[in-house]
Amino acid sequence: MDLNLSREHEMLRDMVKEFADNELAPRALELDNKGEFFWEQVKRSGQLGLIGVINSKEYGGTAMGHLARMILIEEISRVYPPMGFFHQTGNLLMYAVETFGSDEQKKKYLPALCKGEKVSALALTEATGGSDPANMQTEATLEGDDYVVNGRKSWITAVDPADVVGFVARTGDKFNTFIVEKGTPGFEVTRREETIGLRSLPVNEFALTSCRLPKENLIGEEGRGLASALTTIATIGRTGAAGVGLGIARGCYEIALKFAKERVLYGKPIAALQAIQFMLADMNVEIEAAKWLCYSTAWQLDQGKTSRDLAVDIARCKLYAVDVANRCAYKAMDIMGAYGLSPEYRTIGLLRDALELGVAAGSQGIMKVTIGATITR
Amino acid sequence: MGLEILVCIKQVPHPDHFSEIRLDVDSGRIVREDIPAVINPLDRNALEEGLRIKERFSGRVTVLSMGPPQAQKALEEALAMGADRGILLCDVAFAGADTLATANALFYAIRKLGKFDLIYCGNETVDSGTAQVGPQLAELLDIPQVSGVQEVTFGDENILEVKRALEYGYMKVRLKLPALLCVTRDINRPRLPTVQSIMEVAQKEMVIWKAKDIGAPPESVGLKGSPTCAAGVYEHKAGRRREIIQGSTEEKVQRAVARLKELGVI
Amino acid sequence: MSNSGEIWVIGEQRRGRLEEVSLELLSKGMALSQRMGVTLSAVLLGDEVEEVAREFVFHGAEKIYLLEDARLRYYHSEAYARLLAGVIKEHEPQVVLIGATEIGKELAPKVAAKLRTGLTAHCIDLYVGEVDASPHLIHVVPGWGGNLVMHIICPQKRPQVVTMKPGVLPKTVRDDNKKGKIIRVKPDVTDEDFNRIETVEVVEEPPQGKSLESAEVVVCGGWGMNALGGFSKVQELADILGGVVAGTRPAVDKGWVDEARMIGQSGKTVSPGLFLSLGASGAMHYTTSFMGSKVVLAVDHNPQAPIFQMADIGIVGDLREILPYLIEELKKDRMPKKF
Repeated sequence: MDLNLSREHEMLRDMVKEFADNELAPRALELDNKGEFFWEQVKRSGQLGLIGVINSKEYGGTAMGHLARMILIEEISRVYPPMGFFHQTGNLLMYAVETFGSDEQKKKYLPALCKGEKVSALALTEATGGSDPANMQTEATLEGDDYVVNGRKSWITAVDPADVVGFVARTGDKFNTFIVEKGTPGFEVTRREETIGLRSLPVNEFALTSCRLPKENLIGEEGRGLASALTTIATIGRTGAAGVGLGIARGCYEIALKFAKERVLYGKPIAALQAIQFMLADMNVEIEAAKWLCYSTAWQLDQGKTSRDLAVDIARCKLYAVDVANRCAYKAMDIMGAYGLSPEYRTIGLLRDALELGVAAGSQGIMKVTIGATITR
Repeated sequence: MGLEILVCIKQVPHPDHFSEIRLDVDSGRIVREDIPAVINPLDRNALEEGLRIKERFSGRVTVLSMGPPQAQKALEEALAMGADRGILLCDVAFAGADTLATANALFYAIRKLGKFDLIYCGNETVDSGTAQVGPQLAELLDIPQVSGVQEVTFGDENILEVKRALEYGYMKVRLKLPALLCVTRDINRPRLPTVQSIMEVAQKEMVIWKAKDIGAPPESVGLKGSPTCAAGVYEHKAGRRREIIQGSTEEKVQRAVARLKELGVI
Repeated sequence: MSNSGEIWVIGEQRRGRLEEVSLELLSKGMALSQRMGVTLSAVLLGDEVEEVAREFVFHGAEKIYLLEDARLRYYHSEAYARLLAGVIKEHEPQVVLIGATEIGKELAPKVAAKLRTGLTAHCIDLYVGEVDASPHLIHVVPGWGGNLVMHIICPQKRPQVVTMKPGVLPKTVRDDNKKGKIIRVKPDVTDEDFNRIETVEVVEEPPQGKSLESAEVVVCGGWGMNALGGFSKVQELADILGGVVAGTRPAVDKGWVDEARMIGQSGKTVSPGLFLSLGASGAMHYTTSFMGSKVVLAVDHNPQAPIFQMADIGIVGDLREILPYLIEELKKDRMPKKF
């Protein structure tokens, strides 16, 4: 069992680390305060080949795979979680089109998305509950060659600047996944939510009011839309959220460790005190465990296993990485005392970002439902 | 045009970790095995320049390095940035080389590789910082060379115009190719590898040569080929007092100023 | 030592102005020539620089080889390197000292390579000592972290070529009663020397006011000044102490200070009476550049910062709290001493 990362994965990590430290970290605090995002850096990420890592080269992707994606999201999230989270949500529709879409759809949408020239979102959740998608109310009715859509989706990341939005609607008692482009009549972003974490990224509500979409905008097999969306969310959303969790956990750990070595109380650095060492040790163990849960899951996806085969692995790594991120953020703040509350040290910002991860790509509760239901089958 | 471009690089300990390098007093050796290693920062500027020239005029970028086996990682990083092939000179015969012996090793490798139109080096390394290998290599190759290069402009035919730093100004010279340029950080901002270029590394040529592969006479390289050699490493008893002043902020400052007065400097 | 060759200092002039590093090298040259019992000579290239040559004599050179030609007015690496190598081959000095200026750093390796001889860069000291019970000229070079020094020797090849940075050594004292020989050497300059490299333009604007290297007090700010948003406090301290402002590489990158005021391996080396380091943690390429200072005061928030190993007085704490107090305290005594 060779546990070494390949040379290419190591080089990827080094490159993303440099990108994140030099080009994202300097403005992270400012953007978090303002609730603004780095959309220019999305193009930069695309130029570096980071956005299309799970898309094929034929359509502008770099096809480096899920483990590569996990590593890059982790490294970015270590210093600026909103960008890591952008890779989580921004990749959703890209995967859905690549996996379920027609050749025309792939050619039409993927190249610009891989380059970061356009951005996308995928919407499942509505007021009826993201955890209960089968009861969604948004309806798409076939009228001739078009579908007419009515409904409202909520708690969707980054619909506001998105050029292309995928969403699931019921047609009768079946479900379909559609693409709607910005500017389409009947598609309107209605709200931006006030969020406590990942504040750079907008979380929106949008309405579809007699929105007319041609049949070409249907992704995949008719009637199989919910299945495709859930597969997408599992394969891409949950693994992405896990990667963000890993990054946040490591970011907090590194900040706390450096602080503990420098902060002097009672004549020596606090890193010499066992209480502090215990907290750091706990963080160290959990981060390492979370890392292997996440990496092994991503690696298995790269080996060709499906999200159905890996339902438990995927749920497990998201569940654990997000919990570890939250625990590490609290411990880091504990170690740092008053400084932990100071925004410039980033720990309080990372904690707020970790809080948002709980409900991303399926809540922590849903992760346990997935695991529990599967193992007791 | 199709230029043959060579970039000489060196793997060095990561500058952020220099303070961790220790002297093992018993063996008299410097211990730096655990320190992460990187491409010398100015060598990345040199490589970036070579890549830009290749993109503009077409050609091939070869990276060459003399070092221990782990220096292969630096060459791989260079390939990931976009270099076309990498050559590592790795042989116990090269060990202990001073700058002249290093220049000799590079010279014999270049002689084996063939003609180059342009050779780029970083002006100095962050570890030894002598800035000597570039000029010495140019001497051995008998080609014109400039250090401290901040800007390069291509003229007609095989002429370059180069701006080089002076302490309080600059100098501009015109050079005929083939030439060797030692660049400073002002010249460009090195690119990051992309996912695409990282994945292409496996297809690129990487060779490791020993002294006999390049026909380097034993007395020209390594310790044997070095006119200078190390006669010892010592802890520098700088005689610094290393007094850390204690007390509240106000007290610390007052005591520090008082000490400066006692020492007669204010 | 088994050689009887002279000690040579390669002098540097620009536009008829003597570079001060040459006078610093002469002081080391004098010490070595006395210790080794051989003549101290200098070499100067240029055009209409006889007055500069005379300065070398007034500063201690017993002889100076003067190579003048209109085509040598400005430094030209190929012409200078060939002529120097030639005159060295002819007269066989055993030690050659060159200043590690921007020009010297390029010229020295070219000359040493032409002669296939040894070259040691950036020495901080040079003295006759013993290695394995034999006398050798020991080239002392700062090593990693500034806490280590390496001793380099050049056992066989001659001359031994050594460069030293400006600002490391003291200058010799001028005495216009000193007598010495100016030996005019007709350099065999040809057009071919200028065939491969052509000088287009030379622009130099030495800064107004005190240079970094000659200042008695240097106040150097590093990355830690970020917490105060810039260098205003650094300037204030320099003004109170009658010193000059300098910065480390990160400070230059931030635009707080000019590159010409950068202290570090690729910047300037200074040896003032008092060196203040503010918010610079002390990486090696910084600390070796102020090693010659008489007294070093360091202020930094990190007690583990390497700078405190290189300082005489250390204050650990938040710069935002310490600097205002420091300014107040120093204002109370506004008369900086002269050394």
